[in-house]
Amino acid sequence: MINIPLQIDQISEGYIILGTGLFIVFSSLVLLSVFFKFGVPALLNSYKAIKKGKEKGSQMIKKDAPAVVPAVSEKEFTGETAAAIATALHMYLHEQHDNENAILTIKQAKKMYSPWSSKIYATHQNFR
Amino acid sequence: MKKVLIIFGVLSLLIFIRPVLGLNTAKNTSTTQSVEQIDTAENESFFDKAFGGINQFYNYTGFANATSGHLIMIVIGLIFIYLGIKYDYEPLLLIPIGAGVIIGNIPFVAGNMTGIYEEGSVLNFLYFGVVKGIYPPLIFLGIGAMTDFSSLIANPKLMLLGAAAQIGVFGTFLGALYLGFHLPEAGAIGIIGGADGPTAIFLSSKLANGVNLLPDGTTVKNLIGPIAIAAYSYMALVPVIQPPLMRLLISKKERKIRMKPPRAVSQKEKMIFPIAALILTTFISPSALPLLGMLFFGNLLKESGRTERLAETARTKMIDIVTILLGVTVGASTQADIFITKDSLLIFGLGAISFVIATMGGLLFAKLMNLFLKGDNKINPLIGAAGVSAVPDSARVVHAEALKSDPHNYLLMHAMAPNVAGVIGSAIAAGILLSFLT
Repeated sequence: MINIPLQIDQISEGYIILGTGLFIVFSSLVLLSVFFKFGVPALLNSYKAIKKGKEKGSQMIKKDAPAVVPAVSEKEFTGETAAAIATALHMYLHEQHDNENAILTIKQAKKMYSPWSSKIYATHQNFR
Repeated sequence: MKKVLIIFGVLSLLIFIRPVLGLNTAKNTSTTQSVEQIDTAENESFFDKAFGGINQFYNYTGFANATSGHLIMIVIGLIFIYLGIKYDYEPLLLIPIGAGVIIGNIPFVAGNMTGIYEEGSVLNFLYFGVVKGIYPPLIFLGIGAMTDFSSLIANPKLMLLGAAAQIGVFGTFLGALYLGFHLPEAGAIGIIGGADGPTAIFLSSKLANGVNLLPDGTTVKNLIGPIAIAAYSYMALVPVIQPPLMRLLISKKERKIRMKPPRAVSQKEKMIFPIAALILTTFISPSALPLLGMLFFGNLLKESGRTERLAETARTKMIDIVTILLGVTVGASTQADIFITKDSLLIFGLGAISFVIATMGGLLFAKLMNLFLKGDNKINPLIGAAGVSAVPDSARVVHAEALKSDPHNYLLMHAMAPNVAGVIGSAIAAGILLSFLT
């Protein structure tokens, strides 16, 4: 009869947890990255295809529009391009100094009276 | 002012004179024996009583009850505050924790419902959120509402770096077992390698809370305080721990690798991410549900575009409130008689090792990935170090380190991807340890 120990010692159990734990963490993140690499683009493409199919009949005119704009593939449009366009727009919009407000106002700097540390109280009061 | 002085003087005079007057009246009247007895007793021992009172008061003060342990811990608290203010190491954490350490180590007489470990005291009620693991998910909600996952969505393969750094968790777990900790305690200590304060507190409150029973009938040790302090202090020390390892493992040429800018990510993808990630990760590791559920829920609030108000609250006011409570109570839980033990020292040692292992795991795995990647798809191996979570400090360290070898190589956005993947990875690891060890 084979004698199986009831309790596996802690260290070997630790190794089991180490192996399985790392495997699960890796597999779950691999799954997630695979899903976002292939699953999500497929989902979005199918969504686009369904939407296009629906709009095909009603909007025939719009179909010609993209031909006028030089087509830029999504791969070429990187974050750097976006950043450059955004910076250009920002600089353009913030360097327009032509339309200054013509109305001049003088702000009245009114000094509110406060008895706090007023000289009158300091000099005109007799202390016993 | 004069009037106040006069009134005060009269009152004090009355108080001092009262026993003398009392003596006189007692002598004058002396009608019943009982009254006389009381009065004479009062008379005889007035000074003794006064000294006795002062003595008793002194026994209740911190001066009488202070031990060297208390003083050491107060000094540690002061060091935390100093580090936070002077060197700007995670001041939002170190200053509350430092103040908490001082609060928790003011010596007091037990039994007056003062201490954090006394049932029913105010601090004990606040500590409840730590012991039961309530605060960490709330912090994760705020983190989710803050985090932009777009760099991860643009480059999903970087998620593997977040997984690679979790080797620190399991490596430390094994090290703790070899040092003689029990399985649940070792699991809680291991999670320090996840470099994520809330996750560490969550797991240690479930595994090493001083309540659970071990198979051999003894209770586990309460290690929440040491683990939380170790996790947070090493997170603050990321800028010190990581750069030498980076320089050791990554050659100068590799440090100069430029990564191509991430592609633009559409809003639809950003909305899909939290939902898909929530479902996928929690199906795999349901024990991490409180953490991952709140993290992705917070991110959905941010990305849905309709719940800006809720996201705003979650990432500002709410996370601030919870951070304050968490910091102070975790600090106060380091009461000297419970904190200063051999175990705490071992935990601190293991924590440092776990950070080293995690960083090395991330860096080496990034080098390994580079063997399979071609051309401008190659990644800069430095970003592997950001796979330990410690958001966003480790990403910043990577960025700074890359700038040192090439002043025009901006890695921050690339490093954020493994960084947030590390948060997800360490939460999953915590869930796995939790399901194995309870």
